[in-house]
Amino acid sequence: MSEPTHKEIFDKICELLVPYNPKNLTVTEQSGIVSDLEVDSTAVFDLIMGLEDHYDISIPMEMVSDIKTVGELANAVKQLTLAN
Amino acid sequence: MDIFSKFEPLKSRHDLVLKLGVDPFGVTFDDIETATRGRIGNRQIVLAGTNNYLGLTFDRDCMDASINAIEAHGTGTTGSRIANGSYEEHAELERALAAHSGMASAVVFSTGYQTNLAAISTLAGPKDVLFIDADSHACIIDGCRLSSAPTIRFRHNSPADLDKRLTRQGKIEGGIALVVIEGMYSMFGDKAPIKEFVEVCKKHGAYLYIDEAHSFGIYGETGCGLAEEEGVLDQIDFISGTFSKSLASIGGFCLSRHKGFEVTRNAMRAYMFTASPTPSNIASARAALTKIAEKPALRKNLQARAVQLHSGLEAMGFDLCAPASPIIAVRRPNEIVAATEWNWLLENGVYVNLAVPPGTPQSSSLLRISLSAAHTEKDIDYILMTFEAMKNASEGLMAQVAELMAAAQ
Repeated sequence: MSEPTHKEIFDKICELLVPYNPKNLTVTEQSGIVSDLEVDSTAVFDLIMGLEDHYDISIPMEMVSDIKTVGELANAVKQLTLAN
Repeated sequence: MDIFSKFEPLKSRHDLVLKLGVDPFGVTFDDIETATRGRIGNRQIVLAGTNNYLGLTFDRDCMDASINAIEAHGTGTTGSRIANGSYEEHAELERALAAHSGMASAVVFSTGYQTNLAAISTLAGPKDVLFIDADSHACIIDGCRLSSAPTIRFRHNSPADLDKRLTRQGKIEGGIALVVIEGMYSMFGDKAPIKEFVEVCKKHGAYLYIDEAHSFGIYGETGCGLAEEEGVLDQIDFISGTFSKSLASIGGFCLSRHKGFEVTRNAMRAYMFTASPTPSNIASARAALTKIAEKPALRKNLQARAVQLHSGLEAMGFDLCAPASPIIAVRRPNEIVAATEWNWLLENGVYVNLAVPPGTPQSSSLLRISLSAAHTEKDIDYILMTFEAMKNASEGLMAQVAELMAAAQ
C-alpha cells in the first residue's frame, strides 16, 4: 500500500473529528484541536486511537501532548506511516 | 500578565456551577458522624459517595489500633523510609499484605496516588513500552508521564484491542511491555476481564500490572480483589491498591509476585523522597486488613446493598453505566443537569459525587454513588426514595437548568 499523502491524512482526521465537533466548526490545518475545536482531552485520545487503527501505527501518549493543531497531527501521522 | 489568567476558562466553568448553590468540588461537612452519616448545618446527610466500601473508618478495632499507635509511636514519622528509617509497623504491614495475597514482595506508600506514580514510572524504563487502558485513572497516566517509556493506550476493557496493539508493536528491542489495567474502574464501576488480559499478556510475554484500588477488600474469597475472584491472582505480576478505600486509612501498596521488586525501593522517587505513612495510618490499615480476612460478611452485605440500589434505580428508568457493583454511576444528559440534581440531592439529605468531563469516560456527566457495607437496607431505601423524589421534581429542576444554560451562553 502506498504511503498516504498529507492531504489524505488531513481528510481522514476531519472525518474522525465529526462526532467530536457538534457545533460543526470549520476545520483547518491551523485549527487547535482543543483550543479551537473544543475537543476535550478524553475525546482527543479516542480520535488518536481511530487514526492508529486506520493507519496501523502507534502514536505514543507523549507525542500527543506536543500536538496542538490538526496540521501537526497530520504531520505526526505522516511521519509515523513513513517509519512503518 | 496575571499568573492565574490561564485558568480563566476553568474559573468561568466553576463560577457557573457555584450559581447552583454548594460547590460540588469543595463540600465541607460540619461533622462526619459515622461511615454513612455526615452533617452540614442542622441537616443530616446520608453519605453515598465516600468510597468507604467496608465502612471500617468507624470500626472500633481500627480506631483503637490508630489511637494506640499514636500513644506508642507518636503522630508522625517526620521523614522518609530511605533517609530516616522504617517503623516496625511499616515492615509488619508489608509482611501481612504479602502473606494475605501470597505475593513475594509488598511495598507500602504514603498515598494510593503515589503508589501508581512511583511504581509505574520506575518499572518502565526508556527501552520499555507501557500499554494502558484508555480509561486509566489520573495517577496511572501521571506515572506514565513521569516514566521514560513510550505509552500506548488501548480501548477500554478490550483484551482484543490490547492484543492488536501489542502485535503492532512487535518485538521490543532490549525492553519489555508493561500492561496497566484497573480491576474496577472508579467512575462507571465496570470490571476488567482480567483472565482474558492475563492470556493476552502471556501470549506476548508482557508484564501485567493491576490497580485494584476500588476492588481490593470487596472482591475475591479473601478480599484480595478481582484477580483473586477470577482465580488468576498468582499470575499477576504487580497489584497496587490504596488504604483510603476498603482499608479505611490513607496510604497505598504495591504487591509483586517477583521478589526482584524489592530493589525498586531504592529507585522509586515517590517512595524515596516523601514522608512515610504515620503510625496511626499504618495501624488502622493493618487492623482493616484483618477485618477483610476475617469478615467476608462485610463483602456480602456490600454486594447485597449494591444489587438493591442498582435494581431500584434501574426500575425507575435511570441510565446506569455498568452492572451492579459498589460503584453505581447514573448517567445524566449534561453537566448542568448533573450539577443541578447533585445540589438537589444534597439539599434533600443524600451526598453523592458529581463527575463531569474531562475526568470521565466518554465525556459523561454522572451522579456517582459509592456504597458501604455499613449502609443498611433502610439507607438504600432512603437513597432510592430521594432519587424518586428528584425525578418527580424534574420540572422545577429543568427550569433551573434552562435558566443556567441561558446565562452560560
